[in-house]
Amino acid sequence: MIILPNQQLPLFKQFFLIAITTTVFCTLTKNSAAQDDLLAQEERALQQAVAQVAASVVQIEVLGGLETGNDGPVSGLAVSNDGFILSSAVNFPPAFTSILVSTPSGKRAAATLVSHDYNRNLVLLKVNTTEQYTTASPVPHAEVIVGQWSVALGKTYSREVVNQSLGIVSATNRIWGKAIQTDAKISPANYGGPLIDIQGRVYGILTPLSPRGQSPTDGTDWYDSGIGFAIPLIDILPHLDTLKAGNDLHSGLLGVSLKSGDIYDLPAEIVAVQPKSPARASGLQKGDTIIKVNDLVISRQAQLRHALGGQYAGNTITVSVKRGDQIVTVKVTLVEKLEPYEHPLLGVLPDRNFAEQGTQIRHVYVDSPAQQVKLQQGDIITHINSEAVADHNALRLVLSNFEPQDQLTLTYLRNNEPTTVSLELGSIPQQAPTISAHAAPSTAAPADTLATGLIDVKLPEEKNECVAIIPTNYRHDVPHALIVWLQAPGKPDNEELQTQWIALAEQYHAIVLAPQSADPARWNPSEVDFIRKTIDNVLSLYTIDRNRIVVHGQQAGGSMSYLVGFAHRDLIRGVAPLDVSLPARTAIKANDPGERLAFYVFDVKESKLVKASAAGVKRLTAAKYPVTTVQLNDKAGLSDSDRLQFLQWVDSLDRI
Amino acid sequence: MSLLFAKRLPLLKPLLIATLVLSGLATSSQADDLALASNTVQSKMVKIYGAGGLKGLEAYQSGFLISGDGHILTVWSYVLDTDYITVVLDDGRKFEGKIVGADPRLEMAVLKIDSQELDHFSLSKSIVLQPGARILTISNLFGVATGNEPCSVLHGIVAATTSLNARRGAFKSPYQGPIYVLDAISNNPGAAGGALTDSYGNLAGLLGKELRNAQNGTWLNYALPIAQLTTAVEDIIAGRTRPRSFDETVNRPDNPHTLKSLGIRMVPDVLAKTPPFVDSITRKSVAEQKGIQPDDLILYLNNRRIDSLNTLVNEIALIDKIDDITVVIQRDNNLIDITLPGQ
Repeated sequence: MIILPNQQLPLFKQFFLIAITTTVFCTLTKNSAAQDDLLAQEERALQQAVAQVAASVVQIEVLGGLETGNDGPVSGLAVSNDGFILSSAVNFPPAFTSILVSTPSGKRAAATLVSHDYNRNLVLLKVNTTEQYTTASPVPHAEVIVGQWSVALGKTYSREVVNQSLGIVSATNRIWGKAIQTDAKISPANYGGPLIDIQGRVYGILTPLSPRGQSPTDGTDWYDSGIGFAIPLIDILPHLDTLKAGNDLHSGLLGVSLKSGDIYDLPAEIVAVQPKSPARASGLQKGDTIIKVNDLVISRQAQLRHALGGQYAGNTITVSVKRGDQIVTVKVTLVEKLEPYEHPLLGVLPDRNFAEQGTQIRHVYVDSPAQQVKLQQGDIITHINSEAVADHNALRLVLSNFEPQDQLTLTYLRNNEPTTVSLELGSIPQQAPTISAHAAPSTAAPADTLATGLIDVKLPEEKNECVAIIPTNYRHDVPHALIVWLQAPGKPDNEELQTQWIALAEQYHAIVLAPQSADPARWNPSEVDFIRKTIDNVLSLYTIDRNRIVVHGQQAGGSMSYLVGFAHRDLIRGVAPLDVSLPARTAIKANDPGERLAFYVFDVKESKLVKASAAGVKRLTAAKYPVTTVQLNDKAGLSDSDRLQFLQWVDSLDRI
Repeated sequence: MSLLFAKRLPLLKPLLIATLVLSGLATSSQADDLALASNTVQSKMVKIYGAGGLKGLEAYQSGFLISGDGHILTVWSYVLDTDYITVVLDDGRKFEGKIVGADPRLEMAVLKIDSQELDHFSLSKSIVLQPGARILTISNLFGVATGNEPCSVLHGIVAATTSLNARRGAFKSPYQGPIYVLDAISNNPGAAGGALTDSYGNLAGLLGKELRNAQNGTWLNYALPIAQLTTAVEDIIAGRTRPRSFDETVNRPDNPHTLKSLGIRMVPDVLAKTPPFVDSITRKSVAEQKGIQPDDLILYLNNRRIDSLNTLVNEIALIDKIDDITVVIQRDNNLIDITLPGQ
């Protein structure tokens, strides 16, 4: 627009010219009829980009299947000329009967679902057609820059014309390194469609994702919220041949347990390496701290999740660990499924009052490996495989690196004389030993000012009620078991609760915490978080034994106890459902060597649920969790002897 | 999944967008255009207060002036179902609004206030937008503006143009016609009756009432194209009568096709959504002549999607016996088009 004369002009004249042209320019743009302004140019560029990719976007109709709330057409992106289509797994309800995909000529053709990418919530379809699709090119990683325009495309409203939503790239490497984030409106109107750039290239495939879960519908509650995700196309293309061949892609698993706690704070220190895992095969050891995965430096656990989140089973990664003063680097090939891990049993209960080096034995299990090598009450276990073990918690963690039938040597002190024996570890039995409660310390009880008896636990930000029963003989130098009681929906009778529990709570040093549902008619799954808060509240006030925190619930409260147990593995060590079956859709998480979890299932005789409950127990047992089942005669609940047996089981949860 | 989509967007977001339009882009001269556009439209907007106020039913909506003499275009809703409709102009002046007429089929109403020489949109100068076009929506969503406060402006683009009757029962609305689907969270409480314009402030549509997409449970952001309303508005202003009700069942034929008359026997209806598989075909029937076979899966009937036996039976009852039926069936992995002639 500014035409500068050829010859050199005096300086003031140049200024004058520039001033004039600037004025003219401004006047022009002030005129709203000016069609060639930047805004219009940008709009045209975006439309050109949309038009470029539009032919690769297909409409997908999924017929039949279970009710999901979405019966409408959904979207996909052609990734080969002969009709391979990528889409989001959320678009395909269980047990659908047919898939129809739009063809370039505007017709419909039948398609089959070829394979799943379970890690990234995508599916690959193949359309049965001779028509040729056009494909779009991917945006290279280096050219995905936060702040760039992005347009989300779908074909929900029409088979011919795309629907579009305009936004920007909000972030990269989201959801543990898997996704590009956009503020375009992402919803069922474009799940499965592409997110494109202003040049008409594809950033990725739109799909709901959640940092908290990997089921197909996780993340759908963020629809149209300003937070949407796309799986980079450039990341999927290298795996396209695998998917085309009908092979599913799964998340890759390593098989280590890390120290529990805040993943944004703690280093990635390995506390247990699962037997028969890739980690074990590569030589990773308990006590190693992971400091590098491929090229990513790891200083906290969250970074390790980031490095592993997008890895598929079958990928080989390079892991560097700090082992003492050394740095060891190994190559590990990740797997889809770890062999279910089973905790071994030595066969002893520890004396909780013992304060010196080692683990003093409180009780030896009948017919256990410990009994076979003639360990006795009062012996002090000091070494496993010649390595010193500080206390019973450390001993339990060391044994989490073994499985039943593994051999080890054990050193113990009896009358200050060390003895070393070899033994083969056994399995955890169904029945807890019937022994008397743990003795209180011989020292005099310290002065305590905390309230005992029936107390109110009130969380200021929650409308739910919650009470706790604190034994009257509570003393803070005794670690207490915590039983979280989730009653069946209905009006709570706190007085009766106290009558039922107080005597046994005093005898077995247990605190009973009873959070109640906000709605007296039902428990809401989201109340899992409230329950966690009440537990944290009790933990901050009273001395609780972390090995013996148990969630016990009846009917709907029992379903909640399963939810709480699986949701808070870092805290819950036992789940005791009463008169309820494991919800069929509950995904059973793998047994974790570092985070023990045991089940105590109460069935009511002649209840309709017995069969369903047995099916649940079978699933838990198959996943190698220790499960104890008991039959109750009365639907009304636990008798005093049932309750006593239950408390003996809770008391035995710190078994080794 | 339908429950998951029940969440409404927080109030904050549209407000934020409005603020962005007015200030966020202020460094470029293009922003001046947007600002200019939103200023010139504000004087044509009105806030309407009427019946409601109960739980979940707001007692307000939006509207805009379409004549210098005080004619106002808005949506037909329960808010107008009262003897006392209050209209507040952009400058804060308050008037009583009288209903001149309404077209429930279009879910549209025309009000009149007693005033003159008012700034207004001209329906005859309305424009048509293409998908991807930049847009502004101007409305009193959530009732944030009162008195002489300007309405809220949201920006976005046209996400798609589609038809509310594209699929029967997809959108639960008496209005069955073309709409603009908007890429902006425009249709929140109180926004109905607001204006859709291009980025220069040229009128293109009337924001519709809150509507859930019955197919996927999401909330729909949309506007009715002005061209769809012009004739009806002119009729109302000229005093010509408009129909007051709309009944879809009047089109139901007296003598429809039935599965039996076509010679098709379906599998027993045992599930909530039994897949419509053909069980057997009557000898010498129309179905047999045209080649329908046992185990065929019926996918479409006259271009309507058939997702269950139940839908199939309902759809057939809407087709007159003298009319042809087009059927799309799936046999193994192939789609086959078949026309069954009327009788």
